[in-house]
Amino acid sequence: MTTVASAPAPAARPGRPRRRRNVHPFRIATAVIVAAIVIVQVYPLAWLFMTSLKTEEDFVGGNPFALPTSISFDNYARAFSVGDLGMNIVNSLIVTLGASIAIVVFGMMAAYALQVLGFRGSKAVKGLFLLGIVVPVQIALVPLFIDYAEVGLLDTHLSMIIPLAGFAFPLSVYLFSSFFEYIPDSMYEAASLDGAGPYRIFLRITMPLSTNTIVTVVLVNSIFIWNDFIFGNTFVLSDDLKTIPLGLQNYIGAMGNVDWTATFAAVCVTVTPLLLVFLVLNRAMIYGLESGANKG
Amino acid sequence: MLPNRSRLSVLVFLLPPLLVYGVAVLLPIVQSLFLSLFHWDGITDMQFAGLDNYTRMFTGDDVFWTAFRNSLVYLVVCLVMQVGGALVVANLLTALNRGRELVKTLYLLPAVISTVAISFLFQRIYSENPEGLLNQVLDFFGLHGLTRPWLSDVDTVLVAVSLPEGWRFMGLYMVILYAALIAVPQELEEAARIDGASRWTVFAKVRFPYIRPVWITTIVMAATYTLRGFDIPFLLTNGGPGQSSELLTTYMYKQAFVGTDYGYASAVSVFIVVECLIAVALIFGLSGRKARA
Amino acid sequence: MKRFRLPLIALAASALIASCAGGPDGVDPGEVDPDGEIEPREISWLLSRPADGATIAIFEALAEEYAEEHPGFSLELITTPDRPSYIQKYETLAAAGKLPELFDTDATPFAQKLADQGQMMDVEALLQDMGLYDDYRENALDYQRFDDGSLHMIPFEFQLEFFWYNQALFDQAGVQVPASLDDFPQLCADLRAAGVTPIALNGTDQWPLERYIAYHPFRTAGPGYIQDLKRGEASLGDQAGRQAVEWIESLAEAECFDRGFSSTGYADAQALFTSGSAAMYNVGTWELASLATENLDAAVRDDVDFFTLPTVEGAVTAPNEYVVSSGIGMAVNADTYDPLVRDFLEFALAEYPGRYAATGALSPTTGVATAVPEDATERYRQAVAAADDLGEQLVMPWDTQLDPTANARLQQELVLLAQGNITADEFIATVDSTIQESAPKYFD
Repeated sequence: MTTVASAPAPAARPGRPRRRRNVHPFRIATAVIVAAIVIVQVYPLAWLFMTSLKTEEDFVGGNPFALPTSISFDNYARAFSVGDLGMNIVNSLIVTLGASIAIVVFGMMAAYALQVLGFRGSKAVKGLFLLGIVVPVQIALVPLFIDYAEVGLLDTHLSMIIPLAGFAFPLSVYLFSSFFEYIPDSMYEAASLDGAGPYRIFLRITMPLSTNTIVTVVLVNSIFIWNDFIFGNTFVLSDDLKTIPLGLQNYIGAMGNVDWTATFAAVCVTVTPLLLVFLVLNRAMIYGLESGANKG
Repeated sequence: MLPNRSRLSVLVFLLPPLLVYGVAVLLPIVQSLFLSLFHWDGITDMQFAGLDNYTRMFTGDDVFWTAFRNSLVYLVVCLVMQVGGALVVANLLTALNRGRELVKTLYLLPAVISTVAISFLFQRIYSENPEGLLNQVLDFFGLHGLTRPWLSDVDTVLVAVSLPEGWRFMGLYMVILYAALIAVPQELEEAARIDGASRWTVFAKVRFPYIRPVWITTIVMAATYTLRGFDIPFLLTNGGPGQSSELLTTYMYKQAFVGTDYGYASAVSVFIVVECLIAVALIFGLSGRKARA
Repeated sequence: MKRFRLPLIALAASALIASCAGGPDGVDPGEVDPDGEIEPREISWLLSRPADGATIAIFEALAEEYAEEHPGFSLELITTPDRPSYIQKYETLAAAGKLPELFDTDATPFAQKLADQGQMMDVEALLQDMGLYDDYRENALDYQRFDDGSLHMIPFEFQLEFFWYNQALFDQAGVQVPASLDDFPQLCADLRAAGVTPIALNGTDQWPLERYIAYHPFRTAGPGYIQDLKRGEASLGDQAGRQAVEWIESLAEAECFDRGFSSTGYADAQALFTSGSAAMYNVGTWELASLATENLDAAVRDDVDFFTLPTVEGAVTAPNEYVVSSGIGMAVNADTYDPLVRDFLEFALAEYPGRYAATGALSPTTGVATAVPEDATERYRQAVAAADDLGEQLVMPWDTQLDPTANARLQQELVLLAQGNITADEFIATVDSTIQESAPKYFD
């Protein structure tokens, strides 16, 4: 009665088939606990979608955890009519894409220099990079704002991309370094014997091998970048540069009264692109996470 | 190290990222270190303060110490969930026969949702009037005495704001730990089992020692992220009631943008950086000694 | 000017700085009618008002009309309705010297500092020069004034705050509208006994609870009390202060507020009242559309009424003096002020009141009639009429008066007091010492 993990898992080793002597109660308990946690993890998303379909009366009057009494798309209509969701999504895409490219390219370059090329003092430089992991971003706001104002960067996509990339950068360097460490030296040696220099090795060997790590770095950071509010709120002024979290502000009325159902409709619309990418690429990401952290 | 590398190639690869990082991260850090030595409200001239801000922080500010204690509790709750809980779940997952991939994906989902939505959801869960999910469940089991407005009760609020943060990223650390567990050589476990070791002994004597390095990495990641945690406590309770759920980060933010005391806020943030560094050093120090023992 | 930025910039070691400030150097705050041609350009207004609200819609239309006469003109409205986020943005811009032509602010100590630096136009002179000054309600302008009586912000709304109550729930508990503030504890106890939540309060927003601490001293000592308190010249331990604090303590003992009020949001608190489970709700005329039209649930529509701030025995302020606000005001940046800004404002401010009143809201000016919507209940008309029967003094919300540090601490401690976590004496001691420490930084 043993089954191998149902999905073909190229990355992980196949599930262990030799568990015949396991007592069943344990197996059942495990399955129940795992299923319970699945519910806990998935429920919020379901709740979000459910709430976005509720009428306002249903939402304020009824049990917030009950199913909607009637399904209404009014919230979506309102969400689109008040804000410029389309524009917000485009801006979020630009910022997320821009920051992701910066994070990947620079992260890989730095990790390559640190891990593969190596140099005296590389440990210290790596430490410097990792320092970024422990800095609370809020404090950078005022200095950064003044700096950006000086060089005319305010109110541009770049003003969001630079700090978002900068603060995501340390983790990226860390994940890439861990992965590069795992590429066997023999591959580099062989390439070197063939006369390949550091640039060619980077382009021909290191980069192509890093696909999964790239996906991981992009996805993990996209989650933060896509939802960033604080940098956007500080550095962006014009309406046509607003990202999604800033756009959600449009549903706040007088004295703090929030149109929650419209907000949730907007959240649902805006979480969808991220969710789709996430579901499509998650296997690569899980693999990247696993190898990135484990080979480190 | 690559044999054919040149000094130039190291510079070509290292300089651009270092430059971007320097401008985006290091520069503002140095600037805020500098600011922490001044009194500045953003409008009038800056005044040199020497170590005044630090003296005030350590000796004259009771809220700072409350926030510090709260941050530690917050850290413990999040660590227990993100590293402890994740380890348990990852272990359970290895005992699962089917659907592991799907389960892993589903566990990661909460990380995708924006903190605004998460905060609102938890505000509903903890609420008493209208009755939130938690109180509904307690009522259902007849535990009426336990129901309360979890976010308004000074005794429960701190743990209540910590849980969502811990929950949100549990899946992420679970995936990492799971991969480490999968990599434990079968032979070792089999050998132990043949010797009649219990499930627990196999875990404690074989599995855990094997994955310890990964475990340390996850602790460091989780600890540093948590010490900088901000969104959810800020949105859920804004540090209240009173200072019951005030963290160093929310306190720093308020000093900067409510009190417009940028110098003092910078001093608090310098403290957070130092605190994170100490935490990392402690984690490495403790684990290193244990590993050698 | 702007030399305050130099040390930070010098550290940034960027060479391009020293000269930098850039842009026109602006005018003296009193120079409201500068010489020169009107040169149309884009100007911006950094504001904190609802994105779909009347003010923004009207200004968008006004800007378009103005641009037809003045090609090249445009007005960018940058709104951040969430107030804490707005304040963070506004303060960051101020610190970097990048405030736009127009920006919203309350009459806070922070704004006072900006005004002291000569960064905000003298609005009193501006309005008088345009011949509009006398149109404004005195109360609306007074709300915007700094302590020294100077006026640097233009109001765009006018709101009266009432205690809304549910007559059916009052009947159920056998209680009457309170004649005095001191009747509240008993009123709450009776309502509780009848199984009714006495007062719906959105504690997450801070300001609603802070209104309550302002009420008692306003009646017993007048509007001057908070002026003295915030400077550290009065103590909460004085008679007026102590009575206020003990009043809140007695509200807590009588369980006037829900146990979970401090984590209840705006929409939830309002729903408690409109769904008929809470008996009272203290809110302003900006909610008329929800409370006094057919939008209100038919089940409670006929039971909902309001009363104004009760008085106390020996009160020094009149019953028709209570919380009247003209909302967050708009400041005019002196650094970027020029003939264009003036000309546009002159056009817009003359047009605005009529259009605003047509939306059913109270204008900060007199002389325009508020258009009561067709589906309004009788309460709507009563509320609008109340605006024409106001005394001279008004309750200034404490959150616009105290320095930000003292205000933040007071808000936190007030929640604890209203939840019964601390005693009146503890509250007084903590808040007094905070004010002693922080006030000198703001009021010297």
